[in-house]
Amino acid sequence: MATGKKILVIDDDADFRASIRPLLEGEGFAVIEASSGKAGLEKLVEHNPDVIVLDVMMETLEEGYGVNQAVKYQDRYKDFRHIPIVMVSSIQETPLERYPYAEAVDMIQPNRYLSKPLDIGKFLEVVRRLAHVAPHVSQR
Amino acid sequence: MNGEHVPDLDFQKEPESIIVIDDDYAMRLSCSQILTKSGFQVETYEDGARGLEAIARLKPSLVVVDLKMPGISGMEVISRLHDGDPCIVTIVITGYATIGTAVEAMKAGAYDFLPKPFKPDELRLIVRRGLERRCLLLRARRAEMERELLKRRFITFVSHELKTPLAAVHQYLDVLKHLGDGKTSGVDREVWLGRCLRRTEEMQEIINDWLTLAKMESERLSRRRIRVDLARIIPEIIKNYEDLAAARGISLRSELPGEGYLVWGDPNCLTVLLDNLIVNAIKYNKPEGTVAVSGEVIDGEVTICVADTGIGIPEEYRDRLFDEFFRIKDTACEEVTGTGLGLPICKRIVSEMSGRIDVNSQVGVGSVFSVHLPACREPDEQGAKEEAASESQVG
Repeated sequence: MATGKKILVIDDDADFRASIRPLLEGEGFAVIEASSGKAGLEKLVEHNPDVIVLDVMMETLEEGYGVNQAVKYQDRYKDFRHIPIVMVSSIQETPLERYPYAEAVDMIQPNRYLSKPLDIGKFLEVVRRLAHVAPHVSQR
Repeated sequence: MNGEHVPDLDFQKEPESIIVIDDDYAMRLSCSQILTKSGFQVETYEDGARGLEAIARLKPSLVVVDLKMPGISGMEVISRLHDGDPCIVTIVITGYATIGTAVEAMKAGAYDFLPKPFKPDELRLIVRRGLERRCLLLRARRAEMERELLKRRFITFVSHELKTPLAAVHQYLDVLKHLGDGKTSGVDREVWLGRCLRRTEEMQEIINDWLTLAKMESERLSRRRIRVDLARIIPEIIKNYEDLAAARGISLRSELPGEGYLVWGDPNCLTVLLDNLIVNAIKYNKPEGTVAVSGEVIDGEVTICVADTGIGIPEEYRDRLFDEFFRIKDTACEEVTGTGLGLPICKRIVSEMSGRIDVNSQVGVGSVFSVHLPACREPDEQGAKEEAASESQVG
């Protein structure tokens, strides 16, 4: 059942990480946790995950956008640029609403944006698709 | 503040700039001389088009404009000159024959009008009054913008601070439902339930604190002013926290003046203030630590000190300690929950009572929060006055 794929979860809320871990593990993913943007970038280099799940508001209001920007545009992370990012936040504001110019200059945009609380079915489907994993057939 | 533009209030920096628009050469020259002599920076223009162009470029504080000109009329200048700066003050100069138009001009946004011919002093006076008006307008606008910014920031924070715990609880429950009854590794139902409860408590605390602030905003909480004997209410408040302190092995002590420890204020507010300070002193303490509440009255000032033997506050955070929603992100207090509204509430209460609050702290040793309030007059004197007042009202 193990997919051999790794998901990096970057969120400062320990409860979010704690509840999402068994969910992803149940789908056969290995889960790596980071509690800040900085720790997330370190874990990224260390583990080379298949998908990144990224919170927006951590220590600073826009930390998630900073991480997204670093992964997609900074040279030191160029080996990880292809890794899809799923941004998750309880702020009701999509990246385009927050940064209206983002589309034009092709920046800041994550691969997917989902709002918290997550729709679990949709979240797992998004992660599976981004990790190129076929839907897991429930054994129950 | 967030890089938004708030009008500058520093008027004294350079001379106020004034633009005079009039097709009459003699009038331009005399206005320019009169106003330059009074220390203003004056530019004159002979028609509305050039005048408007100069207003957009030079951003003057005040514009003097003739109503009757060829080309763009004075009236049109008035209606267009506020495009860039809504606080530009306009003074209309006009002949007696067009006094009806002058009234129209004031309706369109002009500040005042000056009938021709006028004396130099009349022009100076009206310009000075106009500039005072601008000063008030700028001040009001600045205050309005600051209020708006604060409100917006507050709403963003409240919604985020409430949504985060709510989303966490929702997700725990949703994941439990999704995973069903089967045993799943990594799921400890007991722990998860405990976390859900803790997060809902957190939400309740935020809502309570927020309501306290909102009540103070509408002055409902702090309108009352009665004589409060701190030596009586503080021990009662401390008693409420004995269990919480005992659970953490913390001892509570108080040492208060027996007499004259009186302030003039609202007992509810004072209770909220002391609740917050004492809870903080317990929460940020070390196991087996102490919380000491002490006080004194010196030279008409009452001091309440709440001292803990806790983790202390690193110096770089002290300036922001009383900001709404500010919480220290530090490994030493990772486990301590809080709303980030307690100390702002304290500061608010203290300043409404014309007092102040400050903090002394040493990392790893502890913190002392000191509240300074004006002392209430002696009980006898006050009591006698109140009696006299009520008697005179009855009589």
